[in-house]
Amino acid sequence: MFQTVSIVALLVTFVGIALHWLLTPAGGTRCPVSGGIHVFSLLLIEQRSSLLGALKKLCYLVAVFCFLVLAITGFYPTLVKGEHISGFLMYIHATFAPIFALCLAILAITWAGGHRFTASDCPWLTRLLRRVTRLRLPADDRGWCCSFVVYKLTFWLVMFLTLPLILSIVVSMFHLLGTDWQHLTLAIHRWVSLIFAIAVILNTYLAIRLRMSHRE
Amino acid sequence: MPVLAAQKAAKLLGDESDGSRAHPLHRIPLYTESEKGGKGPLVDPNDPLAMPFSTQFTCGECHSYGTIRGGWHFNYVDSNVPSGRPGQPWLYFDSKLGIQVPLSYRAWPGAHRPEQFGLTASEFTRIFGRHMPGGGSGEITPTDPEAIGAQYASGKLEVNCLACHNAHPGQDQGGATGYAVQVSRNNFRWAATASCEFASVRGSVTDAGPTYDPFMPDETEEKAPRVSYDKKVFDAKGNVFMDIVREVPDHRCYYCHSDLYCGENEQKTEKWTADEDIHLTAGLTCVDCHRNGLDHDIVRGYEGENAHSHNETAATSSCQGCHLGDENGNRPTGGRLGAPVPEHKGIPAVHFDRLTCTACHSGPWPTEKPVLAKTSRAHRLGTINVNKEPRVLPHVWAPVFVKEGWTDPNRPAKIGPHKMVWPAFWGVLDANDGVKPVELAVVTKVVGGVLRNVVPAPTGDWSELKEEQVGEALKALTQAGQAKPVYITGGMLYELDEAGALKSREGHPAAAPYAWAMAHGVRPAAQSLGVGKCTVCHSTKSPFFFGQVGVDSPIASVASLVKSQYEFQKASHARTWFFAFSFIFRPWFKVIAIGASAVIGIVLLLYGLKALGSVAKVLSEQD
Repeated sequence: MFQTVSIVALLVTFVGIALHWLLTPAGGTRCPVSGGIHVFSLLLIEQRSSLLGALKKLCYLVAVFCFLVLAITGFYPTLVKGEHISGFLMYIHATFAPIFALCLAILAITWAGGHRFTASDCPWLTRLLRRVTRLRLPADDRGWCCSFVVYKLTFWLVMFLTLPLILSIVVSMFHLLGTDWQHLTLAIHRWVSLIFAIAVILNTYLAIRLRMSHRE
Repeated sequence: MPVLAAQKAAKLLGDESDGSRAHPLHRIPLYTESEKGGKGPLVDPNDPLAMPFSTQFTCGECHSYGTIRGGWHFNYVDSNVPSGRPGQPWLYFDSKLGIQVPLSYRAWPGAHRPEQFGLTASEFTRIFGRHMPGGGSGEITPTDPEAIGAQYASGKLEVNCLACHNAHPGQDQGGATGYAVQVSRNNFRWAATASCEFASVRGSVTDAGPTYDPFMPDETEEKAPRVSYDKKVFDAKGNVFMDIVREVPDHRCYYCHSDLYCGENEQKTEKWTADEDIHLTAGLTCVDCHRNGLDHDIVRGYEGENAHSHNETAATSSCQGCHLGDENGNRPTGGRLGAPVPEHKGIPAVHFDRLTCTACHSGPWPTEKPVLAKTSRAHRLGTINVNKEPRVLPHVWAPVFVKEGWTDPNRPAKIGPHKMVWPAFWGVLDANDGVKPVELAVVTKVVGGVLRNVVPAPTGDWSELKEEQVGEALKALTQAGQAKPVYITGGMLYELDEAGALKSREGHPAAAPYAWAMAHGVRPAAQSLGVGKCTVCHSTKSPFFFGQVGVDSPIASVASLVKSQYEFQKASHARTWFFAFSFIFRPWFKVIAIGASAVIGIVLLLYGLKALGSVAKVLSEQD
């Protein structure tokens, strides 16, 4: 079941992103090669950055790389071979996992402030609340950027899912849980990792789009 | 065969229980076998030339003998019976000839059929019948006229019901005049009688004259077998009370199913220093799990046995069957016989896919080097004049953690503890590069001639062979008409090249060690592998993966070789070592993961509270 659901969910995610990219172009070059290099440079090169900014960028890039490694080693045996992760793939998975956790912790501290929701994120929500509750909320008639809100949402979703993702594995390493609970924690890890992966993919996609829009 | 069919069809008095849990009383007449193999007259204890009683016709009066002899302990000669998981073979050895070969009538990979090795059924029975409950090879009717005549004198080795079911302490299986001795003297017909508490047998078919006829006994034939019955046990009607029990006592099983592990550095270990199997300590008996009905299709107790066993308790009599039950069954079956349901706290579930239950729970605690083990059937334990030296042949190593070659087709192969022997024998290569053993008689004559000056080891260990002697023996076998002779030992195949020089090959399937799963000596949960810490197995020096299994051979240069345990688990060194090494960092992993989780949790809490504060501020209608 997990295999089927995961394949369908990931396919829907990628197809959805592709459709979104085509239907609502973010601007910039249309050439696939130069477009790819452009996107790559947006992710890799910090254009105007202090030392802390560079470190944050480096941390983000390490996290992205770890995510790719973990996703490939974790999903490949399950989705392609229909087996549990084992052997060298598991060793690689387990090696990169703590680095990823560390990067996520650093990103949580350094990026959380920038991802706070503000009234300007969703003016229509403010207007709706003002109308319904009659509260004295600040009026803002500007349009709103859906991508930006979803980008922030996926960030907080990633941060929230990190906890069950890490703890479901760590807790199974202690002499606390019996076989049934071990199965449960493993299932939690797998299902959470699927949602987590989709959230990270969306977040990264939106980060790229927002950067591109900002440049334009 | 028609007789057997009739016996199977008609139910006899004792074939079916009436439901009473009381032991049926066995005050019974003793019948002999007639000259034509049928039911003979009753035993007359006052006759100085009395014949031995026949279990076929005595026990067979009330229990269908034909059905019983189709049971697991007796049906090994029937090629139609599924062989199941490879079990312990019979080990024929000769230290001077460099032979240690696993034999079995069952189709177990790596074991050779006795006739391939040049042993007739009668010879096989005479050598190994000491630890057989009769039947099987002992009841095969030969076709060779000479062998027919020999069997007329010795009789068949009938199923010895008393070997298991006689609860009397006087039942003598391995004593000076007991069952084992009678079998070794070709007294097959007399063996069961000699084993019981109220009869004794002297003389033997082997020592009797060539004209000896057991059905026309001659009082002057002093060396012929002679039975003396204890007249006091016969009542007025000529019946005898026998302490026959349905539930076989453990000590009857132990005669054939005991083992002894020599300690580290091959020091002899006394039996009293080891604990019993936890199941026995808990009050169970062997037959509580190893059950059978009249057909004696006894449960062996391994996972997947129910795929081919007709025994209805096979599925619920494995470790999982009792302790966990059948998850797909329509009624709960776990916890049978008070079996606790294991929690396995902290053991990742992948272990249950990769390991048998016995891997962590059975056998001696693994040490850096597996120890030499002795078993009843391999080392004649429980019989007279047993060589008690730790290094006496055959050399059986245990525990060796092997990925099972045999498995239920619906399940992946699992790693479990095994006993292991390295085959050593003289053979010939066939056209397909397969190896067939050279008949023992030829080896004895030809190889024995070449190795006549080899000095036998006083301990019963291998007599050391040199590679030059192997080369000479192979040349002698060639001259004796054996095409492409080879010598298998220690995982190597020795052969002569075209120039007549000795060369060796490693990895030939015929040289692969023979391993059979060990299940007993179950330790309590508190003494299982993995209790307390993972590094019992997952460390770069753990005996489970990196223990050094000795290669066994009479050739010194081969005997000094070792194999690591992981090689028998079909695992690579790099993978096994890397995984074990990674456990050094596991505590760090835990610290980093928990620390990162804590930080992220605090950030989420902090910003969650901030968000709540903002909402509260709005709801309080402040500016």
